[in-house]
Amino acid sequence: MEVSYMTPVVPMDFTYNYRVGKYVQRYLDAFKDKKILGVRCPGCGKVFVPPHMFCGACNKKLDDFVELSQEGTLENFTVGHIIIEKGQVSAAESPYILGMIKLDGADSLLLAKVEGVSPGEVETGIRVKAAWKDKVEGDFLDLDHFEPA
Amino acid sequence: MRNVGIIGVGYTPVFVSKRKDVSIPEMISEAVDAAFDNTGLTPQDIDAITFGNMHTFEGVNMPHLWGAEHIRSLGKPVMRIATGGTTGMSAFQAGYYHVASGLHDVVMIVTYEKHSEGDAQVGLMGIITPEVMAMLASGIDVTGGKGMGAIGGGSAGGISYQAMSYLNHAGAGIEHIDGIAAMERRNAAKNPYAHLKDPNATAETIAKTPLVSYPIRFGHICPTTDGATVCIIASEEKAKELADKVAWVWAVSNCASDATTGNLIEGLITDPAEQMPCIIAARQAYERAGIKDPKTEFDVIEIYNGFAHQTLMFLEKLGVCEVGEAHKLLEAGELERDGRFPTNASGGVVSTNAIGTSALNRVTECALQIMGKAEGGHQVDKDVHKALAHGWGGLMQYVTVTILGDEPRKG
Amino acid sequence: MDINVAVAGFNMTPCSSDLVTTRERMTFELSSGLFDDLGITRDDVGTYIIATNDFLDGRTISNVFLDAPVGAYMKDESKVEMDGLNALMYACMRIMTGQYETALVLAFGLTGYQVSPYLHIDYIMDPTYDRQVKLLNELSAAALQARCYLDKFGYSEELLDEIAAKDLSNAALDPYQLRQLSDISKEKVKGSDYLYEPLRELHCYPPTDGGIVVLLASGEKAKELTDKPVWIKGMGQSIDPYYIGDRDLSVSPSTTQAAKRAYDMAGITDPKGQVDVAEISSLFACQEPLLAEALGLLDQGRAADVYASGDTAIDGKLPINPSGGPLGAHPICATGLLRMAEAVRQLRGEAEKNQVAKAETAVVHGQDGVCAQQNVVVVLGT
Repeated sequence: MEVSYMTPVVPMDFTYNYRVGKYVQRYLDAFKDKKILGVRCPGCGKVFVPPHMFCGACNKKLDDFVELSQEGTLENFTVGHIIIEKGQVSAAESPYILGMIKLDGADSLLLAKVEGVSPGEVETGIRVKAAWKDKVEGDFLDLDHFEPA
Repeated sequence: MRNVGIIGVGYTPVFVSKRKDVSIPEMISEAVDAAFDNTGLTPQDIDAITFGNMHTFEGVNMPHLWGAEHIRSLGKPVMRIATGGTTGMSAFQAGYYHVASGLHDVVMIVTYEKHSEGDAQVGLMGIITPEVMAMLASGIDVTGGKGMGAIGGGSAGGISYQAMSYLNHAGAGIEHIDGIAAMERRNAAKNPYAHLKDPNATAETIAKTPLVSYPIRFGHICPTTDGATVCIIASEEKAKELADKVAWVWAVSNCASDATTGNLIEGLITDPAEQMPCIIAARQAYERAGIKDPKTEFDVIEIYNGFAHQTLMFLEKLGVCEVGEAHKLLEAGELERDGRFPTNASGGVVSTNAIGTSALNRVTECALQIMGKAEGGHQVDKDVHKALAHGWGGLMQYVTVTILGDEPRKG
Repeated sequence: MDINVAVAGFNMTPCSSDLVTTRERMTFELSSGLFDDLGITRDDVGTYIIATNDFLDGRTISNVFLDAPVGAYMKDESKVEMDGLNALMYACMRIMTGQYETALVLAFGLTGYQVSPYLHIDYIMDPTYDRQVKLLNELSAAALQARCYLDKFGYSEELLDEIAAKDLSNAALDPYQLRQLSDISKEKVKGSDYLYEPLRELHCYPPTDGGIVVLLASGEKAKELTDKPVWIKGMGQSIDPYYIGDRDLSVSPSTTQAAKRAYDMAGITDPKGQVDVAEISSLFACQEPLLAEALGLLDQGRAADVYASGDTAIDGKLPINPSGGPLGAHPICATGLLRMAEAVRQLRGEAEKNQVAKAETAVVHGQDGVCAQQNVVVVLGT
């Protein structure tokens, strides 16, 4: 006999309010001036972007903020054909590029959208530069995308 | 099985309602820094880390991953433990087994909670999801204030049933709950790492706080706190090498019964004041530690009390006194710092509750008392030879016990 | 180091996209099924370690609701909220102290039908940055790792098709695996849709419901319980940086560190020579050779040749994921233990159609986090 079970959906909506902390705050504040900040480790000398509190390899606290170039090299990328929203996968309107960019002056890679080049033509090694929103407010999305330099 | 000792403790500088100045991992890093400062150790000295918190409170899954750099864990084994209210002590016990097994020599236990960033309802609703489903299925709207009231009333109801049952078995009254809450808030005033401090608290001032569900008053209930606690433990050989004062672990134990004992809709199957898991965990810990008479052997006791009556209830369940005696000891002043059974000199969970830390704090506070390092005036005067730390959680049915001594356990 | 702890038995569900069960019922069926197999009752189990995830279970302190069905009523139970292979390590530590003779480990993930598996990684991510910028998710991160790995040695995307086809044909021989694609081929894999290039749907794990219980026992006890105990010879864990931009995604240093700890305990100095079979928690096709390199089982730069030559196949020189690995099924939290169970089947000669010829030493791997930020390695032997 086929047994069927009740499967109630339990909608639980919780709102969390996060403190970004000193490092992300400083990074976002610099966006108001369309600047990109990294932080340098006093131990190994590596520059991390976005800035965070510790260099994991050296276990040293970081507080030497440095301004990075707006330009860099595309070291890695992926072309997205889907989007994932609240865990659900759906087709993207059109393929888009997510790139990992090594800004001049940084050692870590910054993840950002890449526009102004087609998914079929993009390749690693190209030079790219930051493209900001017209109105910047110190928000995460101020740094809108990178495009070929 | 090797002996294990606590060689250091680190707290965030404060335990308060809202740490607006730091992100979650930045807050945790403060306690890690404090532990290193207090012991003179560096990250290189740590072989492994255990990590505990209740992640639904912050909405961050497995936060030891996001905080990997902040807890100085790169390249090290990290094990995440989560067991509800007992998380801090369960994480401690996991650390203990890391060392006692012989696999690691020096282990750091990292716990935290940052309640201010979370939705206050999430812990409550999360635990009782099937009950929420049943409510939804019967048409009760749990999304609004009325729904929250039903759930809140339900859980307060469960705890007030426990408190009533305790009062009945013990022959005590609500004034005793007022009294123990006041004592702990006065104790908290002498603990720089406590949250709700009130040097002038009395049973009368507590009795003026609003009644939530008889016999639970607002003044009997723990706060939600932002804070982190770190504890460093080591094998006997390493502990003697690295620290001049050590609090030795004599036993750890844990017992869990069935969650339906706290089930709100089906009704309560067992008396929630019976706390059989506590009786069993205590018995097992005493056997392992060689404690023959819990009524006379402990110099300091730290009890997990999310609600003030639980201090009295668990003193009895742990066998520190007979059923019906705890409130009399309170009346005689014997639970105070200068009494025969100093209990919750730290202020207990009813004064400070960053959930991930709360059960670990019972261990660290006992350890600090043994080492003579409790700050702010909450150190007890006498020499502390043996201490009892208790953790409680789950759905009213999960208990951890840790026993500490001032010398390595023999045999 | 002589750990002297063995796997005495296990019981796992055949994985499914929807097991149509409750967590409590599945737990009860798994544990009571194992007790029946071994001829024991819950009285014979000393302690319990549970590996599930509150987010995925949709309830806080999910372990307390499993205390009764797993047999831990009025007993000592704790919860490791990570991949189950870590819970196994903890259970092993408890037995090593001599305090317990037996330990039951439970792990499951109902991430097929009830909750999206991608939320697991979503919630792991930094809410103060990554979740605000909204570019990173489990699949885009895995794709970036794939491209980084392929570009490093100039491998073509077809390598992913080859790896996935090998794994999925192995999975089709294994009744426990969800994906049963018996007519799979490289071409069919290549025909599946791109998600984030270069990853296609069949290069990635399927959303899965599944669970497992494992009974560990100390030396003498294990021999009483089974005539085929499988010994834990070594174990290790380690972790990499959280920040994805700080990592070289083409390598897994934490896997290498975890493996070194495990190999040192097991007395393995030449993994390629001494390991007979590997079960790796590679959630994406590119992760299999990447993690195999980190485990010292594959030389860097040689992946294309090694896979083309059939060395990693069931009948190859060093079979990797003869069960098919997580491309066949990935019930989050259980996956590492499923890999262990598959390795135990191999070492007992009970792997049927997936059986490799020589199986005396196996290495098993589990992961947690974005692009395997944290890794655990266990070495098993007969």
